[in-house]
Amino acid sequence: MSLLRQVALGVAGLVVLGLSGCANPPGKPGPGPEVVNPDSIADFAVLYKANCAGCHGFDGKGGAAIALGDPVYLAVADDAVLRRVATEGVPGTSMPAFAKSKGGMLTEKQVEIIAHGIREKWAKPDVLRGADPPPYAATTAGNSSRGADVYTIFCASCHGIAGKGGKASSIVNGSFLALMSDQELRTIVIVGRPELGAPDWRGNVPGKSMSAQDVSDVVAWLASQRAQFPGEPYPQTDKSTGGTR
Amino acid sequence: MRLIETIGKWLDARLQIGETIRETAEHSVPRDTASWFYVFGSAALVVFMLQIATGIMLALIYVPSAGQAWNSLQILNHSITLGWFIRGLHGWGSDFMVAIVLIHMVQVFLFGAYKYPRELTWMVGVLLLLVTLGMAFTGQVLRFDQDAYWGLGIGVSIASHVPLMGSWIVSLMLGGPIIAGATLTRFFALHVFVIPGLLIGFVAVHLLMVIKLGINEWPMPGRIVRKATYVKEYHELTKKDGIPFVPAAVWKDMFFSGAILLAVAACAIYFGPFGPSGQPDPTIIQTAPRPDFFFLWLYAVLSFLPPSMETPAMLIGPVVVIGGLLLLPFIFGEGEKSWKRRPIAVLTILLVAVALGTLTHLATYTPWSPVMDAWSSLPIPAEYLHNRSALERQGALVFQVKQCHNCHSLDHEGGKRGPALDAVALQLTDDQLIRQVIQGGGNMPAYGKNLSPAETTALVSFLKTLHPEGRPPARDAALAHAAGSVAPATHP
Repeated sequence: MSLLRQVALGVAGLVVLGLSGCANPPGKPGPGPEVVNPDSIADFAVLYKANCAGCHGFDGKGGAAIALGDPVYLAVADDAVLRRVATEGVPGTSMPAFAKSKGGMLTEKQVEIIAHGIREKWAKPDVLRGADPPPYAATTAGNSSRGADVYTIFCASCHGIAGKGGKASSIVNGSFLALMSDQELRTIVIVGRPELGAPDWRGNVPGKSMSAQDVSDVVAWLASQRAQFPGEPYPQTDKSTGGTR
Repeated sequence: MRLIETIGKWLDARLQIGETIRETAEHSVPRDTASWFYVFGSAALVVFMLQIATGIMLALIYVPSAGQAWNSLQILNHSITLGWFIRGLHGWGSDFMVAIVLIHMVQVFLFGAYKYPRELTWMVGVLLLLVTLGMAFTGQVLRFDQDAYWGLGIGVSIASHVPLMGSWIVSLMLGGPIIAGATLTRFFALHVFVIPGLLIGFVAVHLLMVIKLGINEWPMPGRIVRKATYVKEYHELTKKDGIPFVPAAVWKDMFFSGAILLAVAACAIYFGPFGPSGQPDPTIIQTAPRPDFFFLWLYAVLSFLPPSMETPAMLIGPVVVIGGLLLLPFIFGEGEKSWKRRPIAVLTILLVAVALGTLTHLATYTPWSPVMDAWSSLPIPAEYLHNRSALERQGALVFQVKQCHNCHSLDHEGGKRGPALDAVALQLTDDQLIRQVIQGGGNMPAYGKNLSPAETTALVSFLKTLHPEGRPPARDAALAHAAGSVAPATHP
């Protein structure tokens, strides 16, 4: 092929490429500004991904924290709870406050969009099929000594004697309990951690659901296991052989 | 045709420049210079003309006021027919212009064209590079988005390092102590009047010298430049083996310039205009501003400079580089022109190219910057949470909420500021992990005051799980020995 012919072909190719972009040019900016003001973001998927996915998982599950996409959880916790927790966080635990009024980065409206979006996306109205779960917040005070018995009946088969671990891990570790609020313990006792294999209040013992009082009592027992000074790094070290530490 | 000819003759009878133009166009140039290596200077000029044309069009709509600049770019992008395309042409034209000027400079350097008698042509060329970069920087500021705002902030901080005159320069640049309305007006004046004026003046001088001194001949190994004989030799060369610039050499320039214009247009169509990114509001902190492409290397350099080196490097560096470039033709004004006999020149170009390329590449993903939203947007990989105890999962949450993920990556996701922690348990024992978390060190801040003992314990218990399967985590041999689990080491 002569040089002239190659050049002509090249130019023709460029022109065709140029014209192909004219009908619907890919570089034409889409509607709205390229970067939206962070306060104006109103898309649930964007807000959830940026603020919640880190701990609660991309799809409302698979994160280290409780699965917000668990329909049982959403049937037990109402909108007010979702909104309050997202706004204020839970002091003492790893849930920070997200609302600007509490030192976070989100507007009140964005918190509302997140709370609403979580329910709209993952809630299933008929998930409980008429079952009546224990209330989200405790209505009666728990009795920790009765709670020890409740624990033995409903929990010990997995979490071991006195909660020190069995098939599932210890739940009386001082540091663990220090980072869990009573409400968080209660919520998990009620709704379980389905993605980790922990059943909800109905499934611990086949055919025998936990009552609201059972739940309050076992949470009271767990709370009574809290350590006075959690976080001692050498709980099992024998001081006589471990030297002065 | 006849009408045009009549008008032409009428004009020339009065202007008397037709002969000069014809002579200039047809002046004899060495045959070898009709080469594809000699097209970059003219292409830079053509792109500059494109910049003038598109720049005038943009100036019709653009409002150089801090309150309205960003909005006027939105209008250009969305409301004016093909406004986005003109912005694209201007933006891409800017990148192409800097690129072509740099390539032109490399070609001139490697071909020894800066040597006698073209020293001043080179020096004006260096000034042209500086004003071209000045155009690129001021143009970026006129975009007045988050990148521009913070880019300007950094530019001014650099200027403020100048001893004695620092604060004066800052207020000269910004029109006051802060970036405000007066700032943008100043940069508009710079970008539209001052720097283009300089650019046009320098181009005129540069071109005049190219025509008067002749285009640099193709360098031949062994053909030595000597001040005493060079001019005579060059004239002999053009007389013996010369061709008229028009049309013998010019068609390659025209063809290349045309291709560059098409490439600029293609980039504008396919990739669109640059920004504007977010609104220039310093209260919006959810932003990671970065400069335009040709300043990325500088961004990387400034990020890597240790604080104690900042002032000397920023003040001495430019003087050395610009001074070196300006003095180059005086230091190496004679001798070999061919790159084949100038290995140090070739190595210099390679070194500079690799350095700038590496720095630019680094600046595209800024490993030195924490990823500020990693903690809340990047979950811990599922396999790192599989079969973990309740305490370890709490530790994973502490890892997120205390923003460890912003600096430390897990499974390649997250910040690159600190080391990846996928196998941290192989490297640090429990005690070392606790110490590192609490006291920091090695560029890591101390977190002791921000973590309760329970949080530290949970976090460390999670970190202890971070090791590849089948490889046991590091352990304190003394502690293990004290606990009686290992036999003491035997010494001969």
